[in-house]
Amino acid sequence: MINYNLYTKELKRNRKNLTTWSLIVVAFTLLILGIFPSMAEMGEDLTKMMDKLPAEIAKALGMDAQTWSSITGFYSTYYGIYIILLIGIFTTSTGATIISKEEKEGTSEFLLTKPISRKTIFVTKMMSLFTLTMFIYIVQTVCAIIGFYVFGGGNVDWNAFTIMHIHGLALILFFTTTGVLLSMFFRPMKNFMGMVVGIIFGSYFLNAMSKIAEPVEWLGYVSPFHYLTFSVNDPNYSVSITGAIFLLLLGGGVLFLAYRSYRKKDING
Amino acid sequence: MLAIQTTELSKYYGDSIGIKGVSLEVREGEVFGFIGPNGAGKSTMIRALLGLLIPTSGSATMLGKDALTQGYEIRKQIGYLPAEVNYYDEMSSRELLEYHSRFYGEVDHSEIERLAAYFELDLDKQITDLSFGNKKKCAIIQSVIHNPKLLILDEPTSGLDPLMQNRFFELLEEQSKKDVTIFFSSHNLSEIQRMCDKAAVIRKGEIIAIEDISALLKKQMKKGRFVFKEKPKDVKFPEGIQHEQWHTNKLTFEYVGPLNVLVKWMSGLDLVDAILEEPDLESIFMNYYER
Repeated sequence: MINYNLYTKELKRNRKNLTTWSLIVVAFTLLILGIFPSMAEMGEDLTKMMDKLPAEIAKALGMDAQTWSSITGFYSTYYGIYIILLIGIFTTSTGATIISKEEKEGTSEFLLTKPISRKTIFVTKMMSLFTLTMFIYIVQTVCAIIGFYVFGGGNVDWNAFTIMHIHGLALILFFTTTGVLLSMFFRPMKNFMGMVVGIIFGSYFLNAMSKIAEPVEWLGYVSPFHYLTFSVNDPNYSVSITGAIFLLLLGGGVLFLAYRSYRKKDING
Repeated sequence: MLAIQTTELSKYYGDSIGIKGVSLEVREGEVFGFIGPNGAGKSTMIRALLGLLIPTSGSATMLGKDALTQGYEIRKQIGYLPAEVNYYDEMSSRELLEYHSRFYGEVDHSEIERLAAYFELDLDKQITDLSFGNKKKCAIIQSVIHNPKLLILDEPTSGLDPLMQNRFFELLEEQSKKDVTIFFSSHNLSEIQRMCDKAAVIRKGEIIAIEDISALLKKQMKKGRFVFKEKPKDVKFPEGIQHEQWHTNKLTFEYVGPLNVLVKWMSGLDLVDAILEEPDLESIFMNYYER
């Protein structure tokens, strides 16, 4: 089912990008966690500053004094958008190019004339994409755990941290699959980055807007962020199994659609 | 067994024709030419055979297996040399050939070295730094390194200098002696003439002729050059004369038809000199093409 030759080539081909993005994500994670002690020292000043924010905006962005008073809460406001976005940019754009790059550079002809079926090519490429995704995700998670130990002062809600990272993984995997689908329905482009950032940011803000006003509450349902939240201060915060399964099933469906398109695709010179 | 058999194979791109109703048979061990001008459908045909394009209708078998459903089994035994060579820029030639070989099993390092030396290819150079000719050499090596039973060549000599073209033909002769079937697509007729036993002529996506090369060459077509004392006022040409051109008192033409008709006609002319030649493949091909 998986061609080891192709699998290792894909990992080698993406290693430079993987290293660069892993370093960016690690640096960003440490930066966020590193500034928490000084934010915590601001104490009352921070509370006053937060109070000036309109309640709806603060709610939409998950920014309030209570959330920012703990390292877990402070981290969650960044993790829920920026870290997901950074990892998502790498994994989704890799997903968008892992097949289309061969077509754009004309190497599809080389690959598809080898004794390997399109099904095996697709599955192998998806497995290498999954490996790359898990690598950057694990590196970031390990780095965050270290950062929590270093900067958390022993006051860490590990349960909330775990839930947050499970939700993060499901979101990242979902966004990654949308990248694969993008490449099936658009001509091989030089860069899918703009589209990827648009999708992730766009879906985040759709969810944020849905929290601001009731008339647009329905917008939240089209955003994956609606199903997997990062509200760590919610006393009932727990893993949204239905949300995670829903997104993973949707991602699976997206991959199936992408595979069907790839199976019948004409490879022109 | 037939190495290639297509039945009414068609590929349309929307309303435009790639290939239409192509039926041909290539026997095992044969060196089969596929002639046609650019855009005639040669590459579309090859791409449909290799499973790169999904045919609109018709069927194709290669080495006794269905090209659409048993492509994986077929591709184990096929070597393909594309017209345009696109490889992974980040690899060296050696890495590319090893990557290619691993799809078929073990890497035969000594054979890679032997062929690279034969074609004077620097295996450690990055693909991105190779000229088109050197990329083509790499493509030639990857097409034969896994000992295929069927070689599919699409404009194989483009980009090669004459010395390398000769070496390439020697390699093909070596392959042919090993009973490898060769499907040789080209618009270069002298190459087809040199290498092939049989050829199909494709025009606007349709096969217009399939002939043995020797039969093609022996077609009753003649090229004639007559010199008259002076240009006759009125010459009645027999049926079969075509492309006649006068240059003062000299007439050049092509003739397709029984030779005795031509000789009878000549006997009634006031000729100073007459030359009748066997046509080259180019003229025969053009004759087909213009029909």
